[in-house]
Order: sequence, then structure tokens, then C-alpha cells
Amino acid sequence: MPTLLSIFDLPDDAATAITKLRGRGFDVLESYSPAPFEQIDEAMDERPSKVRIFTLVGGLTGVVTGFLMQIWMSWEWPIKVAGKAYASIPPYVIIGFELTILLGGILTLLGLLFVGRLYPRRLDAAYSARFSAEEFGVVVKVGERDVGEVDSLLRSLSAKEVSLLDE
Amino acid sequence: MTPPPATAVVDLMRPTSVPEDSQINTDVMSVTKGVSWQWGLLLTLAVIGVIQAVFSYAYQVYEGLGLAGYQAPVFWAVYIINFVFWIGIGHAGTLISAILYLFRAKWRNAINRGAEAMTVFAVLTASLFPLIHVGRIWKAYFLIPYPNQRALWVNFKSPLLWDVFAINTYMMISIIFFYVGLIPDIAIARDRATGFKKLAYTVLSLGWQGTGRQWKAHNRTVLHLAGLATPLVLSVHSVVSWDFAMSIVPGWHATIFAPYFVAGAIFGGFAMVLVVMIPVRRIFRLEAYITDYHFENMSRFILFTSLICGYAYAAEYFIAWYSGVEFEQTSFWLRAFGPYWISTWIMISCNVIFPQLLWIKRFRTKVPFIFVLAVLINIGMWFERYVIIITSLSRDFIPGAWGLYIPSIWELSILVGSFCWFSMFFLLFLKFLPIIAIAEMKELIIHDKAHARQEVQ
Repeated sequence: MPTLLSIFDLPDDAATAITKLRGRGFDVLESYSPAPFEQIDEAMDERPSKVRIFTLVGGLTGVVTGFLMQIWMSWEWPIKVAGKAYASIPPYVIIGFELTILLGGILTLLGLLFVGRLYPRRLDAAYSARFSAEEFGVVVKVGERDVGEVDSLLRSLSAKEVSLLDE
Repeated sequence: MTPPPATAVVDLMRPTSVPEDSQINTDVMSVTKGVSWQWGLLLTLAVIGVIQAVFSYAYQVYEGLGLAGYQAPVFWAVYIINFVFWIGIGHAGTLISAILYLFRAKWRNAINRGAEAMTVFAVLTASLFPLIHVGRIWKAYFLIPYPNQRALWVNFKSPLLWDVFAINTYMMISIIFFYVGLIPDIAIARDRATGFKKLAYTVLSLGWQGTGRQWKAHNRTVLHLAGLATPLVLSVHSVVSWDFAMSIVPGWHATIFAPYFVAGAIFGGFAMVLVVMIPVRRIFRLEAYITDYHFENMSRFILFTSLICGYAYAAEYFIAWYSGVEFEQTSFWLRAFGPYWISTWIMISCNVIFPQLLWIKRFRTKVPFIFVLAVLINIGMWFERYVIIITSLSRDFIPGAWGLYIPSIWELSILVGSFCWFSMFFLLFLKFLPIIAIAEMKELIIHDKAHARQEVQ
């Protein structure tokens, strides 16, 4: 099936095009954007990013690890000082907190790499340096017979160029 | 199946035009292009500075800490001052990148990258100092809890151990934050580089293409990291302050220390951002992106945090007097009028008196003036730590135990080396990575473009 790449100047136009195309049942494969614009990301996928799960899991692992580590190590080598408990919680809050942040942050980074599929690899055929300049790209898969129709639809939505990608 | 209309397809098969690159890409990436002799000279000086400090340190490892000017009862001195100073410098970067991000203060976009880089390099500098200070460096691994033959664990109730965790966490999170922000910009550099640089940028940019999915994940990540870094940055300098406040030394044993240190850190850090960014803007002609408005906003921050510092200084004196504790009273009296009076008055004038000029708009907007002021503030903040650490230790409970400390040449050599180490990283950063967060600035530029279009229509 042919794939069309359309170029937009403004984020709102790109977002409208994505919404319209998806509304008409076309498969919008990808969008390229030089800067973060939520309207485009929302139009592509309305679900919240899964990165948040990674942060939550990392943070919880951190706080549990932090407290368990300190409590266990204090009991493993018990030193009685001034009749106080071996494992006293208030001073342990600090390291518990630091490990929450540490593991939360590391897992958030891993979440970004995993969810955003970031690893050194070959770039998409549709991608070019213009999308790291100031233009927006929308890639859509259309049936053979719909090419002309989608082309004029995209142009009416102020796409400044529409081109057919090589298979 | 009906084939698509022939005309449409022929039209579509035409090669697309290649548009001109965006202005901000060219402007910011031009900083990394080419190497001037001035840059080479500065880098050479910085490297020489680092090498001389490495020699001093090696000699100290060989001879022992006797080389430092320690004199009973002062055994915490310039190394600890440097540690607190550099950690403090880092705080402004995290404030700009995390806290101002959460407050949606868009003006931070222009200075964000420079400040974050500064944070990372400042923390890399600071984290060396506890190791330099411990003397027997080969035992430094005792700081880390792990199962060992000594069958011993670290003391989790000690603020010094909290510091180990706080500093390492801060270092990791700063680096992660810095790198995550850089990924889209490294991709911009990748698309425009050739040869070896292209290979390096390709690996570092991790196949970033700015797809919807990537931006969505990226936005989330930055939001979460900002949320994590905000309490972290406040906790780090609090923990550093507890290194002192948890003891009973007069002059250290104060509950105000945590907020006092955090405000001081942000104060000194903002001054360092100005010291670094004013020359960078001037040399690389980035006036279009880093405007006087940014410097004025930072001046306001400096004025505000200077007031907090001034309040903390006053509160310390007030509490010393009001507590009726003789040791506290004597300690504070000797701070201002004892052997170290000069450092105290440098601290008060640089940190509280001079910044008051920023109330006047004409000074706030005069870049050479704020540059000089920022340098003075950095000196003042270094002396603030000098005052806190040295004067308190040298005058404790019993006059018979008092002593005087004067920094030795070896400590000063390592102090100079720390500035060179920081500068070395910053100079290299200038030539390899974009100094302005291009993608974030582009968000504002494209936003303005969209508005301009709407008004035309």
C-alpha cells in the first residue's frame, strides 16, 4: 500500500490533519516534529505515556530498598548506643528518600528509552533533516485508490508538500 | 482495483524541495564549529591548572594530610569549603531546569542548557573533595555499604553517610536530566554533522526522530524528572548543612541551617550562571536568544535569595544573643570581631550589601555591572563557607583549645585546580554540544510563528 508523507509548517495544522485522517479511518503511521507540541502527540495517541509506570515502580523499589537495606544492616551488626533502637526510623528517612529519587530517576530514563524506542539505529526512510529544522511531517498509509483523495485532503489542510514514499 | 488518478501520482513522485535550515539551528550550532586560538589558550590554561592540582594532590597522598594547614582544633577546612561551594553552585542549574519547569516559566528555556551543564560539572568537581579530604584515599570505599570481610556496615545515623547518598543521587539525577534534555538537540546536530562527529552524535542521539511517541515519552520523562529533582535539590543542600548542624559546635548547631544553605546555594549558583553565560553570550553573539530580560530575571532571583541570606545571617546573630548561651555568643562575637573578621565582612558585603543595588532597574539591566556583581557574590559565597566552617571550629568551648588555621599552599593549589577542572569541562562542552536548548527554544519560536500567521489571516 502506498505511503504518503505530508509536510506542514505549523503544529496545529499537522495535528488537525492527523485527527481528520484517523477520523476517516486511515492508518497514520508516524508524525515528526522539531519541538514538543502536545496537540500532535495527543492526536497520534490519546493515552498517557507509559513512562509514568516506570517512575512509580522505580520510586517504590527505591523506598523499599532504602529502608530494608538500612534496617537489615543495622540488625546484622547490632550496636547498642544509649539504649536506643538498633533500627531507628527517623534518620533512615533520608537515605530512604534519596534512594526513592535515585531509582525513580534511573527507571524513568529506562522508561523513556523503552517507550520511545530509543537506541542507536537506522532512521526511518521518511525522516529527514527538515524535521529537525522547523517543519512537521505526517506519514499516512492509504489504499491505492485513495491516493488522490488523501492528497487533496492534506493540501486543503494546508500541507505545503505531499509526496509518495518509495516502498 | 482502480489505479489512482495518473496526474496526482506524477505530481507526488516529484522530488521534494530542500528548505533552508532553521535560523536557531545555524546560530546555536555555529558555537560548536571551529576552534579559536583564545579557546585553545583557555583550555590549555585549564588543563595546566588541573595538572598542577593533581601533582599537589599526589604529593598530599604521599605525605599525608599534614600538608594542609590544619591546626588543632580545625581539621575541616578548604576542602570542605570547596565541597560545599561547588555543590551549591550546582543548585541553580537544577532550580532552573526542574523548579522553573514545573512553574512553567518559559524564560528559562534560553539559559536552561548552560545552567544544567554547569550543574553537572559543578557536582563532578564537588564530589572530588570529600575524597581529597579523607586523606587515606585507599580506604574511601569504606563509605559504601556492601558485605565485606570486616563484617561491618556503615553508620546510617551519621549525616556524613547521608551525604554520600545525597551527593551520588544528585550526581546521577543531574546527569540523567542533562542527557534527556540533550537527546533532541544531539539529533539536530547529528542531522547536520559529517564524519566522525556524525557517528558520535548518531550513537548519542539514540535514533531520535521527534516522532509523536518519542515526544510524548520525552515530555513525561522531563516532567517526572523535574518532579523528582525538585525535592532532591532541596534535600541535597539540607543534608550538606546537617553535616554541620547535627554537631554541637557553637556556630554550627542551628536549626536554620537547612533553608539557609539551600537559599545560599541558589544564590551562589545563579551568580555562577551569570558569570558563565554573560561571556558566552557576548563571545558567540547569542544576544537574539539570551536577552537582557533573562539576565534581569536572574538578577531578581539573586536579589531575592540575597535577602534570604541576609535574613539568615541576622537570625543567627539574633539567636546567639537571645539564647543566652555563652559559647554561642562568644563564637558569634568572634566571627565579626575576632581573628577572622575580614572574611565575615567580605561575606556580608558581597552577599547582602552589594546585591541591594539590584533594587534599581538601571543596575539590574546593566550587563557589565551584574557580571562584576556575580563575581563578587561567588567570592562572598566562598567566604560564607569559610566563615561557617573555620571560625566556628577555631573558637569552640574552651579558650585553651582554640587555634588558628591558615590555608596552606597545597590547599590553595587544589582550590585553583577545582576552578580549572570546572572550566575545562565547560570549554569542552561548548565545542561538542549545543549551549542553548534548541528544541525548547524552537517550541517558543514556532508558537510565535503560528500566532503571527493567525493575526495575518
